[in-house]
Amino acid sequence: MELYQLTAWELHQKLTTKECSAKEITQSVLGRIEQKEKEIGAYLTLTPDDALAQAKAVDQKLASEEPLSPLAGIPIAIKDNICTKGVKTTCASKILSNFVPPYDATVMEKLNGTDCVYLGKLNMDEFAMGSSTETSFFQKTHNPHNTEYVPGGSSGGSAAAVSAGEAVLALGSDTGGSIRQPSAYCGTVGLKPTYGTVSRYGLVAFASSLDQIGPIGRSVKDVALLYSAICGKDEKDTTSVRRDYPDFAKEIVPSVKGMTIGLSDEYFGEGVSDEVKSAVMKAVDALKEQGAKVVSVSLPSTDQTLAAYYIIASAEASSNLARFDGVKYGYRTKEYASLDEMYEKTRSEGFGDEVKRRIMLGTYVLSSGYYDAYYKKAKFTQKMIQEAFRNAFSSCDLILTPTAPDTAFKIGENIHDQVKMYMNDILTVTVNIAGLPALSVPCGFDTKGLPIGLQMIGPKFSEGLLFNAAACYEELLGGFSAFSALK
Amino acid sequence: MSKEYVTVIGLEVHAELNTQSKIYCSCKNSFGAEVNTQCCPVCMGMPGTLPTLNEQVVASAVKMGYALNCTINPVSKQDRKNYFYPDLPKAYQISQFDIPLCENGYVDIWVDGKEKRIGVTRIHIEEDAGKLIHDNSFAGSLVDFNRCGVPLIEIVSEPDLRSSKEAKAYLDTIKAIVQYIDVSDAKMQEGSIRCDINVSVMEKGSDTFGTRVEMKNVNTFSGAVRAIEYEAARQIAVLEQGGTIEQETRRWDDQKGQNFLLRSKEDAHDYRYFPEPDLQTIVLEESYLSQIKDSIPELPNKKFVRYLADYDLPEDDASLLVASVEKSAFFETLVAFGDVKPKSISNWILGDISRIMNETGKSLDELEIDAKALDALLLMIDQKKISNSAGKTVFEEMLKTKASPEEIVKEKGLLQISDTDALQEIVDQILAANQKSVDDYRNGKTNALGFLVGQCMKASKGKGNPAMMKEMLLSYLENQ
Amino acid sequence: MEMDLKRLAKLSKLRFTEEEEKKFQGEMEKIVEMVEKLPDLDASGPLIDPDSPMELRKDVAEKKFNRDELLKNAPQVQAGCVVVPKVVEE
Repeated sequence: MELYQLTAWELHQKLTTKECSAKEITQSVLGRIEQKEKEIGAYLTLTPDDALAQAKAVDQKLASEEPLSPLAGIPIAIKDNICTKGVKTTCASKILSNFVPPYDATVMEKLNGTDCVYLGKLNMDEFAMGSSTETSFFQKTHNPHNTEYVPGGSSGGSAAAVSAGEAVLALGSDTGGSIRQPSAYCGTVGLKPTYGTVSRYGLVAFASSLDQIGPIGRSVKDVALLYSAICGKDEKDTTSVRRDYPDFAKEIVPSVKGMTIGLSDEYFGEGVSDEVKSAVMKAVDALKEQGAKVVSVSLPSTDQTLAAYYIIASAEASSNLARFDGVKYGYRTKEYASLDEMYEKTRSEGFGDEVKRRIMLGTYVLSSGYYDAYYKKAKFTQKMIQEAFRNAFSSCDLILTPTAPDTAFKIGENIHDQVKMYMNDILTVTVNIAGLPALSVPCGFDTKGLPIGLQMIGPKFSEGLLFNAAACYEELLGGFSAFSALK
Repeated sequence: MSKEYVTVIGLEVHAELNTQSKIYCSCKNSFGAEVNTQCCPVCMGMPGTLPTLNEQVVASAVKMGYALNCTINPVSKQDRKNYFYPDLPKAYQISQFDIPLCENGYVDIWVDGKEKRIGVTRIHIEEDAGKLIHDNSFAGSLVDFNRCGVPLIEIVSEPDLRSSKEAKAYLDTIKAIVQYIDVSDAKMQEGSIRCDINVSVMEKGSDTFGTRVEMKNVNTFSGAVRAIEYEAARQIAVLEQGGTIEQETRRWDDQKGQNFLLRSKEDAHDYRYFPEPDLQTIVLEESYLSQIKDSIPELPNKKFVRYLADYDLPEDDASLLVASVEKSAFFETLVAFGDVKPKSISNWILGDISRIMNETGKSLDELEIDAKALDALLLMIDQKKISNSAGKTVFEEMLKTKASPEEIVKEKGLLQISDTDALQEIVDQILAANQKSVDDYRNGKTNALGFLVGQCMKASKGKGNPAMMKEMLLSYLENQ
Repeated sequence: MEMDLKRLAKLSKLRFTEEEEKKFQGEMEKIVEMVEKLPDLDASGPLIDPDSPMELRKDVAEKKFNRDELLKNAPQVQAGCVVVPKVVEE
């Protein structure tokens, strides 16, 4: 067993018992990156020297018997839409290709206090818009299980790096499924936290009312550890929630005894592949045997939800991305005669096609004469969906669905059919629209050998419950690491 | 001109609030700093940054809302107004669209000797933009972000104003009120109060407004008067020539005294307002609101009318007094003693006291004037126990030593001489010594009288009753 | 469905060649068709959520960044200012 194959919790045990050093852990992961990165392409920026220096500092703390946080010395990688002071943050876009933030995102400030080791910045769909990481301006990322396939998106670099052993843990962001869908495709565990539990300060905004930063790992406990480290009220983000946040990792009880699982036909509809359906139902049956009850719940149509999602997300994006205008930072076109020409050429050259489509859609649904029919109606649809989930959770504790309708698709397969690409999000966007937490965990492989993801959705602030259920299932399967591509 | 027209005016006043920090970040809210030194990633719109609303901005806006008799919305929100411009780093301005903090108010203004009520549609909060610096020596424009995020309130009036004079009175009243309740410095030269103007004209007797034209870039109140008069004349000329007024935005050029088309209705911006997702709902508790409501003092426009009615002051005196919170409060304290005529008190406050305040740069409070002592002094002058000029000497001494006026008068022997014989003696002496002035007066140079009175006052060491001595001089000059 | 791509491009400060415009027009129409699947519901009344009141920030000024750091990423800087093509003041 190589160190890079272990979970954060296992590595923490080894560190505290001095079976290995932080330097050895970091070296092992850096070695793995060296070995795999060419074929995976998960990273946009690597900071190996900083990583080794940070590991050295942890070893010094260890030597002087200072207490270590569970994440001390753990190699973590960061999605490239999270601002890192002094380290390029590009959002995988040409328009931010040279942007070096003079500040850290709040999650980075929080992680700085844990003494974790930063490996670098991860590839993603440009501005987190996409489901395959193919819209990155810089490079494609390949699914570690089969490099002809996409890793999912938009946090494709995050899931691929963790699955391939190129990072022990990673931060991603999830606006419509961007943590869960790549986790499903790569066989990792990914949490989209309750909206407002993780500060968005320093996360380059895609859709402010839907975006959440979340952890990706190879075990439930690891994901809980990282979530505990980044959650909490932040004075800099008024949408972050003030409440008591427990130590989630410590409080995990791997059990579903007495839990009621809700299933909705809407989420097993015709778009969902038979292999995925049967893998998810097998998981449900396994949990039933562990003492869970299963009921059926009624949820709004996924088509309607997807429509509301694309309207709200694009509307906010069109406004959030207006600041990239070549004036204060980022790319500026080379030749221009007027202000408008500078704006238009900068933005047309700086943004990729998918981002342009979202900006245009968002502009359209907000524009005079269309606002009521699209944006406002979508916001009222959102209220209706939130109400429907409140009702559903009055009869169950959590809802299980497939994370994605199918397993990973081939690179290039969907890139020219946007609507088909958007259908990848049909099972995940609801969670963002409703502001709920959801966890994606592996639940099998399809006949092509690609992982299948199971989505567990809970009511607001029920992350603890999701961890318990997922940990129970994890025990049944003998750990989730087997779904990663660590060999 | 064959027809008579009425000008209809609505005003949108922007006032920068005098808070410590900016509206959405902790940068200092200050004027005149070196370029781009009062900025941070938030007000420069850097990726990933988020706004946090300054509580004082809400408090100041609500205060202004109560001052203008508005309904305060206990639940309101902020919205994004989207447009590209280099002085707007996020490419949207955070403002309030359909639910402003304050709505449906009014303000009474004083025009042509009577009050007129002007409706206030709404007051909302928003962020100011940065500044563009144009320098002809250079091919581009420079952007200074210091002003980005300076808090603004926008006060929108109903189209209730009917002349440039009314508009000026409205603007002066709004300015006096924001200063009085201390929410804005309202310094025109710093651009901390500015306005956009909507003008239309209609035929006299009509009750249908004409098409309105919006004018931007009006930076002074006197400029507003010129801009309104110009635009009304322009519209009337168009109508008289059989043309129609287009709904458009025009830019006022105060130097040229003309306005120019900025954009037509077809080019009007589509701002794509939508609720600001980075900020949550502004919810104001009833107790919070009533606390602010109770803190609103009597406002200058109402005080003004009361001073005219209750104290019979001239309009000039009343407006100068009410323009200052301190002076009007001090005035009212002295009036309340009931010893001295309000006009005499006003003369003192607007005369010597204001002069000393100007000279020393001190506020009334810092001058530490004992109101009761000043009242005693004014009473002595009123009762002619001392002369007005002796009063000034006493007052200066009071400021220096804090001694009572009675003590100072006694010590300096300033009691006024009203004894006819003693005064006649002085008058005779002066007349004898100034034959040239006597001749001058008799040759029609009547201002020689002033000189002679002055000489008599000097000879009496300021103690002679000037009115009596003047009488005596006159009787000699006119009769002998 | 009527989508004036030229107007949207102008509002979004994007420009397209004729060829691109044709491509985007087709793609956008399909996307709009997808988002038109909203349910038929009453969407009157203001969009406001009184259940999530906001904590406000205390009015205290502080300085944390210097100008050089803030302008480091700017494409063109002169005299402590960001430079843009000459504009007529609005």
